[in-house]
Amino acid sequence: MIRVEELEKHFGALHVLKGVSLEVQKGEVLVIIGPSGSGKSTLLRCINLLIEPDSGRVFLDGTQVNRRDIRPEWVRQQVGMVFQSFNLFAHLTALQNVTLGPIRVLGTDPTTAGAQGRKLLARVGLADKADAYPAQLSGGQQQRVAIARALAMNPKAMLFDEPTSALDPEYIREVLDAMAALARDGMTMIVVTHEMGFASEVAKRILFMDAGRIIEEGSPEEIFHSPKQERTRMFVGKILR
Amino acid sequence: MPATFDEQRRSRVRIVDILLAILVTVGILAYILDVLALRWGLSTAYIGRSYPNYLKAAWISLYVTTIAYFIGMGIGFVLGWARSVRTLPLARVIAARRREAVAAADGGSPGAGLFLGTLLVYGIKYYVRRTADAYVAIIRGTPLFVQIVFVWSAVLVFYPRLDPLLQGLLAGVIALTANTGGYQSEIFRAGIQTVHSGQVEASRAIGLSRWGAMRYIVLPQAVRLVIPPLTNEYIGLLKASSLLAVVGSVPELTTFGRSEAFQTFHIFEAFALVVGIYLLITVPVSKVVEWIERRYRIPGLGIQASRTARV
Amino acid sequence: MAVGTILVILILQTVLRFNLLDEDLWKLYLPSFLDGIVLSLRYLGIILPLSVVIGFTIGWARISRFRTLSWPLSVFVDFFRGVPPIIVVIFAAVLGPSLLPARFQSQDIGIIIAALTLAMHSGAYQSEIFRAGFMSVPRGQLEAAQSLGMTNGAAMRFVVLPQALRLSIPPLANEFAVVIKDTSLLAIVGGFELFGSSFIFEQQILFSPGNQLSWIFVVWTAVALVYFVMTFAVTELLNAIDRRYHVKGLEAVTV
Repeated sequence: MIRVEELEKHFGALHVLKGVSLEVQKGEVLVIIGPSGSGKSTLLRCINLLIEPDSGRVFLDGTQVNRRDIRPEWVRQQVGMVFQSFNLFAHLTALQNVTLGPIRVLGTDPTTAGAQGRKLLARVGLADKADAYPAQLSGGQQQRVAIARALAMNPKAMLFDEPTSALDPEYIREVLDAMAALARDGMTMIVVTHEMGFASEVAKRILFMDAGRIIEEGSPEEIFHSPKQERTRMFVGKILR
Repeated sequence: MPATFDEQRRSRVRIVDILLAILVTVGILAYILDVLALRWGLSTAYIGRSYPNYLKAAWISLYVTTIAYFIGMGIGFVLGWARSVRTLPLARVIAARRREAVAAADGGSPGAGLFLGTLLVYGIKYYVRRTADAYVAIIRGTPLFVQIVFVWSAVLVFYPRLDPLLQGLLAGVIALTANTGGYQSEIFRAGIQTVHSGQVEASRAIGLSRWGAMRYIVLPQAVRLVIPPLTNEYIGLLKASSLLAVVGSVPELTTFGRSEAFQTFHIFEAFALVVGIYLLITVPVSKVVEWIERRYRIPGLGIQASRTARV
Repeated sequence: MAVGTILVILILQTVLRFNLLDEDLWKLYLPSFLDGIVLSLRYLGIILPLSVVIGFTIGWARISRFRTLSWPLSVFVDFFRGVPPIIVVIFAAVLGPSLLPARFQSQDIGIIIAALTLAMHSGAYQSEIFRAGFMSVPRGQLEAAQSLGMTNGAAMRFVVLPQALRLSIPPLANEFAVVIKDTSLLAIVGGFELFGSSFIFEQQILFSPGNQLSWIFVVWTAVALVYFVMTFAVTELLNAIDRRYHVKGLEAVTV
């Protein structure tokens, strides 16, 4: 359902993506691991066209979408994103955060959007926080609202950019649980994370990325217990202590 | 808006953009000056022979500004210090004093004298503090025009036989001093308070007295914080000194330019000279201050840059 | 605040020997006083809204990617920030009318042009305020809005602008106070707002026998009080608005 071929990206003199290709099937959960600076975030942002790759192709449902005649906004409506720093709209309540997209982008009428929004907030366990402002919520709660906000657009797939890296330890569990529930419901997900427990439980495949390239790809057992590449072995060894 | 577009495309557009920007800016400026010069007449001869007089007038502006600035700095520093100390609620002050007195008197209960003494000192501190606050509020809440005229009236009433130039000078310097004193007290207060929180506790934890903490920890940092706004304040005061035109007897730059304009009818030339000299002084200094601020900024530490030009 | 102000006035009254509530004076002065206030308010009614429009537009334009747009405007802003307002007011009033075609010429056109110039002057400062407001909204907010499929325009309208405006309110309160004080400059070109009409009245006192000199101080204290009340009211109003719409956790970055 999502496929990228030979993505290249430079930021000035920095060669961040060096010919990256991957493919994700519908309903599959793909986890990307790797050291910081390996280009994972850039890769994610190329998929929903927040960043335009220098060369390469991005496919959504078989159609190439990084073309001049396709509006990036249309692509981003199909693919939701959850950020490391939550990025909730600080001036809006949780419910308003969730309904802003449907109302202003999809044109849903406010009443329907509100009802759907409440359902989504309930789904992530925050039904009672609908009228709270982000500043009044804990990190874990904010991130779950962010998940609900992305889901409100009814996306075909969801991208997660280190969703728990900015959280205090006691809140990580609740966010990972919400993500696992999403996976069980059949959502196509690409997750960049350091949470190996989540990766081994929920992911179907894991990609190891380093210095702009995909080094190795395999099932969780393969990557964690019998990595084929030296670099993968070193990285996994450090993480799985 | 931050761009999230293709890097390569951006660098090509960027060069065109810069060239076009320079072209448009210079072009608009040249066009405006050309039209104005045509409409109002531009006598370069007048400019050529008169500009030394304008420069002399500018010197007078600078003299007046500098005198007022430094006297005002003394006032501002004292007031800023006084206003940066938090006034504790009365009950806590009394309780603290009581504890100290008990510790000193070794068990005996503190007498009524101590209580009244504390109350008196506190009362005086309170009213001094409130008056200082009011002084600054009034300076900031009323136009400089009014302040100048107020002082000028006082000077005229009390020293009616003084030379008009001296009257104007006296009134101008006093008013500008009072004005900048008020604004500088805000700068010093903000500087001291910004550093104060947390730093005093930390330094006392390592054994410094309250005065020692002030001297070795708070003040050095506060000085660094305070320099950019103080420099901006100097520029602001220079611009404010132009308001002495209402007095009319002090030949600073604006007064001089105005009288030249109306006497010689070279209005546009006078305007251009006055504006040109002000810009020559203020813009480079402001840019340097901006650059310094940006370069040496410590994220999270800084005084809100509020406009210091006030009238 | 009130305590201190009353104290200051009392101190002044004793030192300079005048009585703020002198009835004879007020019989003569009240008309000029009130007319001046009304005129000041009318000038403010023009200058304040205009300055906000100018400031917001220029502030917006200056965060544009296109230097062709932002550089000329930066020159505009630097000009008005580097020059004392009084000088532009004087020359705008004197030279400005000649730029207009004949049918606009009238008695007061110079003063109106001067008022417009004051609006531009404040607009230059306000553009800096709005620009700082825009730049203080975290980049992640824009990214999040885009990730929902919003166009840049929609993101600006529903996410960035609401936050940028809220951030701009406190410094704007300060700037409005400055504008109120700047209206006194119009006196030097013949605008008979509060300062101007009081100045004329003061000249009359000085030069007619039988009137007490101490009346001068009464006049100026009263004038100062009015300006003080106006600036206080405006800043309190904007602070109240700020409190109502304040976004917790969002802070302005010094630019």
